[in-house]
Amino acid sequence: MAIKVSSLAKEMFEASRTVLEDSWPEIKDYAKAEFKKIAESMAMIARLRAAGKLTQKKARLHLEIQKNASRMVLLTVEGLGIIAVERAINAALGAVRDTVNTAVGFRLV
Amino acid sequence: MRASGGFAAKMGSALRLTVVATALIGLGCQVKLVADYDEITDRSVTALQREFERFFVEVERKIGTPEADHANYVDFYDGVRAELGVIRVRAAARPKNEITIRQLDLLAENVDNLEALHELGFDDPEELEPLRSAFQQSFQAILTLELAKKRGQ
Repeated sequence: MAIKVSSLAKEMFEASRTVLEDSWPEIKDYAKAEFKKIAESMAMIARLRAAGKLTQKKARLHLEIQKNASRMVLLTVEGLGIIAVERAINAALGAVRDTVNTAVGFRLV
Repeated sequence: MRASGGFAAKMGSALRLTVVATALIGLGCQVKLVADYDEITDRSVTALQREFERFFVEVERKIGTPEADHANYVDFYDGVRAELGVIRVRAAARPKNEITIRQLDLLAENVDNLEALHELGFDDPEELEPLRSAFQQSFQAILTLELAKKRGQ
């Protein structure tokens, strides 16, 4: 039984799309929550500076700390995205395995 | 002759089947783009986070007194840098762990920034709030990714 490429590709696409659609809301919620906290911290630093409680040098160091924290959050978002892609690829490969096993007529894989 | 021709044909078929099977078994293997979860990293980062929480609680209580001065916390900074170094070496020994390594490097930079701030002196408890928040978020970022590496394990 020949493998129909277009059907196989569609199966793979649908399997991976479901995984990505499921993963995105969680990643989005995490990113939104974390950036809200960082924005609040930056507002506080600005307020402390305006109130004369932070020198320019201190304010710069505070800002560097917040920037690095933001970078760490973004790296987590990147990592979560890559894991989601990984799951999507494996889901798509899973779809291929079933189709291939059917095509060869026995459980080859 | 017939026997050797038959044998050659069977060998050819077996070879083709092996190649196809290997390719398909390759397809059957799970793709991994990110390192696996590491419990030791999880525990070590959590322990480090605990030390930073204690640090902020202590400094907040002592602020405005000489006890809050940087000179009393040199051991703290040396200690956390050493622990971070150990965690980083372990992270770097694992393949496909580049994101976590970069996070640990950023955390190390922030330890330097925090110490630089401390050397200038903490005068107001309000100043500690954004710092504590930034470090909490940093640890949470590292741990969120580490836990995600479990992938339903």
